[in-house]
Amino acid sequence: MRNLIAFLLRYQGVMLFVLLEVVSLYFFLTNSSYQRAAFFNSANAYMGVLLARRTQVTDYFRLDELNKQLQADNAQLRRQLFPPDFAHREADSLPVGRDTLGRIVYRHLHPATPQVLTAQGQGLLAQNAKLKAQNSLRPDTLLLGGSKQATLPLVPARVINNSLRDVDNYLTLNVGSADGVQPDRGVISAAGVVGKVQAVSAHYARVASVLHSKLQVAAQIKRDGTIGSVSWPEGTDYSHAMLDYIPRQNKLVKGDSVVTSGYNSVFPAGVFIGTIESFTTEPNKNFSTVTLRLGVDFSRLTYVYVVPTPPRAERDSLEQHTGELPAPVKAAQAQAAKAKKP
Amino acid sequence: MSIVATIGGQLLRFALYVGLYVLLFDNSSVVLFGLGWNFFYLGFLLFLPINTPIALQLLLGFCMGFAVDIAHDTGGLHAAAAVLLAYLRPWVLRLLTPRDGYDAQDTVNVHQMGWQWFLVYLSLLVTVHHLAFFFLELGSLQHPLVTLGRVGVSILYTSVVMLIVQLLFFPVRRGRG
Repeated sequence: MRNLIAFLLRYQGVMLFVLLEVVSLYFFLTNSSYQRAAFFNSANAYMGVLLARRTQVTDYFRLDELNKQLQADNAQLRRQLFPPDFAHREADSLPVGRDTLGRIVYRHLHPATPQVLTAQGQGLLAQNAKLKAQNSLRPDTLLLGGSKQATLPLVPARVINNSLRDVDNYLTLNVGSADGVQPDRGVISAAGVVGKVQAVSAHYARVASVLHSKLQVAAQIKRDGTIGSVSWPEGTDYSHAMLDYIPRQNKLVKGDSVVTSGYNSVFPAGVFIGTIESFTTEPNKNFSTVTLRLGVDFSRLTYVYVVPTPPRAERDSLEQHTGELPAPVKAAQAQAAKAKKP
Repeated sequence: MSIVATIGGQLLRFALYVGLYVLLFDNSSVVLFGLGWNFFYLGFLLFLPINTPIALQLLLGFCMGFAVDIAHDTGGLHAAAAVLLAYLRPWVLRLLTPRDGYDAQDTVNVHQMGWQWFLVYLSLLVTVHHLAFFFLELGSLQHPLVTLGRVGVSILYTSVVMLIVQLLFFPVRRGRG
């Protein structure tokens, strides 16, 4: 016994080292799986409060910029509410200039104090969520299905923590299950697709952003509807992503818009992702290598919206069981087989 | 200095390093050349008293890394690299033992131990930590050049920040710290 204790004391460093390394590597390797307890991430209550406080402080230094962003967003949405007669004859996700006449006039008429600005920002944010819900009630011609989900409201949220330069990047939002946010919901912003909710606590949510090596977004090229998949491999910076599985015989044009296809029921169809920046076809590959410039600038992401999911279980089970016989037929067949046996 | 005061002081240091790192210096705000960032919180582990027991060092390294992991959603990545650093620190200290051994009042301090000693100590540990961190994060050896670039820039950045911390906050005279 004394020998055992002496042995343990002698090698306490090595043993503790191995133990702690195994524990940390276990946490690291299971980090991106969904079964993880929601506690050990930035969406837990204590860390969430801390990060939210930090955001409160840093926000004061950029209230002006934030309000400009929200107002540009608002102006764009209002423009969609009152379309001219020739609307929808061209791609409606062409980059729209952020400058509006209203904005300039506004700023000079109301040189606002920070308090007023905060209140203004809150008001604008609520307005935005309402407008977005209204807009999705009147789907454009490209949105053939998916109009059912329009009755569910978007949840406006504030990004309180953000990483850009890791291999797997996450955001933390200040909304949680108390606001109706569930894991696997899509997250979008005015400029395009942001990511997918991975874990939620009561008041905070952790989102795997598009800049995550395991997140893939079902996409299509808006001009001709070619479907593909957007991914973010290690080695690309935070303003670019790759568009995979585009057959090499398909003609590509630089500057084409890439939007979500709505195939994986996380994002509604037609949400902007980015524009094609460059592409190459190599003789020994079936697919073109396409580089996208992402629509969202992740380095200055502030306000986002969590998308309500359509009834997903029904669609998924339908897709999984396609080709199988319906239950009554199966039962009848089983009976017949039983009758044959003896 | 009594034990309670020592423990209290170290806890305060722990909170200060984690707090400053998570709230100010994290990798989305202060980045050098768009590649690397500084691992400010390593200062806590690097500047612990020389005679800290190994088990305590490992546990502190784990706690420190895990606190940063929770804030950054990296699972256990920072913790794994920090535990490695805590494990190697006594070895490096032994390697760099002065001719007549460490004095009782010796601390990791650039003024007391000299520039040469301090720079070797700092660069050895920071290099091992950053190599482990970035290659573990990648999970493969696929993009060696980009990753080595990040490692190099981060080593430079972290070392300079650690030096600044030493020059600003560590006593020049012996026996106070």
